[in-house]
Amino acid sequence: MSGQARGGRRIPLIDGIEKVTGRARYTADLERADALVGRILRSPASHGEIVRLDVSRARALEGVHAVVTGDDCRHTYGVLPVAMNEYPLARERVRYRGEPIAAVAAVDEKTAERALALIELEIRELPAYYTAEAARAPGAVLLHDNKAGNLEREVHHVFGDVEAGFAAADLVRETRISCAEVNHAQIEPHACLAEFDPLAGRLTMQTVSQVGYYLHLMLARCLEMDTAQIRMIKPFVGGGFGARVEALNFEIVTALLARAAGARVMMRLTREETFLTHRARPHTDLKLKLGLTRGGRITACQLEAVQRGGAYAGYGIVTILYAGALLQGLYDIPAIRYDGYRVYANLPPCGAMRGHGGVNTRHAFECLLDRMARELGLDPFAVRRGNLLQAPTRTLNDLTVNSYGLAECLDKVERASGWRERHGKLPPGKGLGMACSHYVSGAAKPIHWTGEPHAVVNLRVDFDGGITALTGAADIGQGSSTMVAIAVAETLGVGLDRIRVIAGDSALTPKDNGAYSSRITFMVGNAAIDAARRLRSVLVEAAARKLEARPEDVECIGEEFRVGASGQAGIPFAEAVKAALVDHGPVTVSGSFTCPPDAQGGKHRGGAVGSTMGFSYAAQVVEVSVDEATGLVTVDKVWVALDCGHAINALAVEGQVEGSVWMGMGQALCEETRYIEGLPLHASLLEYRVPTIAESPPIEVHLVESHDPNGPFGAKEASEGALAGFPPALANAIANAIGIDIDELPLTPDRVMEAIVERRRRERLEARRAS
Amino acid sequence: MTLSDFALVRPADVESAVAARRDHPQSRYVAGGTDLLVNMRHGIDGAAQLIDLSGIEELTCVKATLAGLRIGAGVKLGALARLPLIAERYRAVGEAATAVAGPGHRALGTVGGNLCLDTRCVYYNQSEWWRQANGYCLKHRGDICHVAPQGQRCHAAFTGDLAPALLALGAEVEIVGAAGRRRCPLAELYVEDGRAHLALAPDELVATVLLPPDPAPSAYGKVRVRGAIDYPLAGVAVALSVADGVAQRLRIALTGTNSRPIVLAGTDALIGRPVDEKALHEIERLVQKQVQPMRTTVASAQYRRLAAAGLARRLVASLAAS
Repeated sequence: MSGQARGGRRIPLIDGIEKVTGRARYTADLERADALVGRILRSPASHGEIVRLDVSRARALEGVHAVVTGDDCRHTYGVLPVAMNEYPLARERVRYRGEPIAAVAAVDEKTAERALALIELEIRELPAYYTAEAARAPGAVLLHDNKAGNLEREVHHVFGDVEAGFAAADLVRETRISCAEVNHAQIEPHACLAEFDPLAGRLTMQTVSQVGYYLHLMLARCLEMDTAQIRMIKPFVGGGFGARVEALNFEIVTALLARAAGARVMMRLTREETFLTHRARPHTDLKLKLGLTRGGRITACQLEAVQRGGAYAGYGIVTILYAGALLQGLYDIPAIRYDGYRVYANLPPCGAMRGHGGVNTRHAFECLLDRMARELGLDPFAVRRGNLLQAPTRTLNDLTVNSYGLAECLDKVERASGWRERHGKLPPGKGLGMACSHYVSGAAKPIHWTGEPHAVVNLRVDFDGGITALTGAADIGQGSSTMVAIAVAETLGVGLDRIRVIAGDSALTPKDNGAYSSRITFMVGNAAIDAARRLRSVLVEAAARKLEARPEDVECIGEEFRVGASGQAGIPFAEAVKAALVDHGPVTVSGSFTCPPDAQGGKHRGGAVGSTMGFSYAAQVVEVSVDEATGLVTVDKVWVALDCGHAINALAVEGQVEGSVWMGMGQALCEETRYIEGLPLHASLLEYRVPTIAESPPIEVHLVESHDPNGPFGAKEASEGALAGFPPALANAIANAIGIDIDELPLTPDRVMEAIVERRRRERLEARRAS
Repeated sequence: MTLSDFALVRPADVESAVAARRDHPQSRYVAGGTDLLVNMRHGIDGAAQLIDLSGIEELTCVKATLAGLRIGAGVKLGALARLPLIAERYRAVGEAATAVAGPGHRALGTVGGNLCLDTRCVYYNQSEWWRQANGYCLKHRGDICHVAPQGQRCHAAFTGDLAPALLALGAEVEIVGAAGRRRCPLAELYVEDGRAHLALAPDELVATVLLPPDPAPSAYGKVRVRGAIDYPLAGVAVALSVADGVAQRLRIALTGTNSRPIVLAGTDALIGRPVDEKALHEIERLVQKQVQPMRTTVASAQYRRLAAAGLARRLVASLAAS
């Protein structure tokens, strides 16, 4: 195959200059001189019935153009067609503090705020639950009448003979670990600009969405509009991490306001409101049991996961399924039982977040595996190596593994970190820990199953000789547009500067399932290659005629079409384009990619979740110092290796690996949401402690290329796989440094200190008993 | 929420500033604004007039004399940390200034602003929507303290970094008001009440900080979750001189644990004694006994107590060893 991407290329993102010079316009920067200002009234109560909602005084205020309430939208919305149980504006009942109840559009911010203050609201409070345990207690009031026990979904999966597995083990251990709820904390707060043209009856929405297509569908549903009358445009987006995969309430609310006002409405949420919108990783209580042979072979695994999902379904079913499905695909485990419970509580709804569903499961697994290895006197690397998969294979839950570079990842970080020479030999208070992780390269079965191809890219070329790639894939900072440009340029044999990428405009670009589950490189990349090959045949055919050669003998290298190694002079790219245009006029081709049915997961209920064309694999070593006087943990260095199949752009891949390690570090060290009776204590970047540059360690990235047979140029995903390994590697490093295993995340100084104090107390007791 | 409307006046000298404040009861002094403007955006401290102190020359002077060092209250924290004399002779002050928030805050925030920093609490430093949904609190618009609902006082914690460093070094402050100028030990600027922690008349402002010329060697340390941005969960400053193996001068001051910065009592008993394990243990015990952290932060009060003690011990040990 020509168009084999050269490895090791380091190409700055094609939109990088606009971003670093501040020229890039994000949603909140869009021209808004003639736009009304939107504002949302949010529930002050955690749970209750709306007894009275009177907006007449707000409506009468001068400068107010529209006020909308739950009466203006009788449709639910949600990301999963089977679990849409949320209204954009509460109707009859509120279920969390911060839930939107009404909204106003006014001439300016002050008027909008005054109008909100004029809305009269009376809520009859109901009992509220802030933990999964309280919500599941017998007699608890149901948040949703059709969800007994306040359970959104129970999952019970058994693969293999679990009892026999544990019976065959030499060591069986069970542990409980809990991981605090975290948030994406993307730097750009939520914003959208909705414009409704009352004459044409058309809505144009510009917003921060990662998946414009889902929002497009939800706007049509909630506003009872024909999808043909809606246009979705994605401006520059300042981070997503899963926060914007779902249609969000404020986007639908703004569209409702724009229609009611017959105008443009700009909605810019505060940081607090952005946190309240939430949709991130749930608080999870895990009970994990593993069986190991004396030699370290895993014989069985049993996990119970309880996720506190917040007040609405959102992505919940998928998250609770992922938490079980991703026990598989990393190691060879002969028997697995998984019991998952997704629970409602009176808190902002959780959703998808980088490493969706797998991170907390992986944390518990890698921590317990490490502790058991210690007990058996085995090296952590040796235990992982003893349980590797052999690709190609299928897991117990029918996931395909076609490429598997974990062994090489282990080798690389073991060597780079000096593990063998240094592990167990560092001075007091210093330690090394390691862990492995993986992630899907796109969900092989999309949520909105339509039977269409999984991805489509269109390419057009016209008299100017420029190639325009049209993709619906949302570049949210991860570099997907750059990836598309490289895939097209490499396949066609042209320079990158000949490619222009237009992404995320429903009037121009083909539908795309969006930026979620790390699907874009694999799926959109393959579609881009397919489109480029089609364009290449059109151009090669035209060039062949001019060169009086057979098309199969013509190739394009360095923007020149020529006949193999004939030595005959070739024709430049522009001339081939002109020749093609004589035949066809301006050329538009369409390329696509479809995941074959056998990659779409097992036949069991929920079997589609976790299914993918290829997993990325990662191993990492973390070095820490622990200060026993203050409980402060310092991450001194991280060595990480990622099997990304093939690095289409090593620079971007390294950036994504650093980013995922760093995000894992945030969850591991200091990030968590806290609520006081449903009020967030964390709703600012001061109190939600994303690490600063002061805590950021050197991250040494190693890339492993396992050349996936189906990946674009052999590539797989690169931006999520390394995340889940960080928290357990850190916990294992702390255990190595001070001999304490801590069963909670994040490992904040107060938690570490508490564990140290507890150890001292125990030691004193033991000393007293001994004396 | 949006900032409320206010008038901005820019007096040229301290006397005009004080007069403007006296004439306009709904006014507030502002210098760097890094504390005040955040509160104003939260709907707290809505002032009809802000008196900008940044153009007053007297407040930006730094002067070394035989009597010691005079630091204008308007000196920026970043600039203070960069003064050679601070690094040489008043190390704790430089370390404290450098430990404040992030570089942006230090470029704007001032000495006086940090000394007069509003007290903080998880129930208070929240948006108007949040506080209203929670029924407000004793510190602002409400009548109960959610931290200690049975009590009568506000427990919001003082979290300025500079104050303990200056206290440990025996600083005084010069205060200007409509009634004239007065000078007092820095410790007397503070009251143990989270709602009214400054002993200043409404029109008074801190104009100058005075440091003695011959301070003991000093250091400042701060416990926080992140290495930047965060306010101290506990901050400790120590000034200690050792000669002939025994402590000559020792003063310890803390921040983040009470509604005011506190000077540790009982350290006199350690003077004339070697700084050994027994002395260090005693310091830990003194700190644990005297600090009064409450549930004003997400981190537990007990953690702040232990961390303050651990940090005090470490700073004393390292100064004794240097």
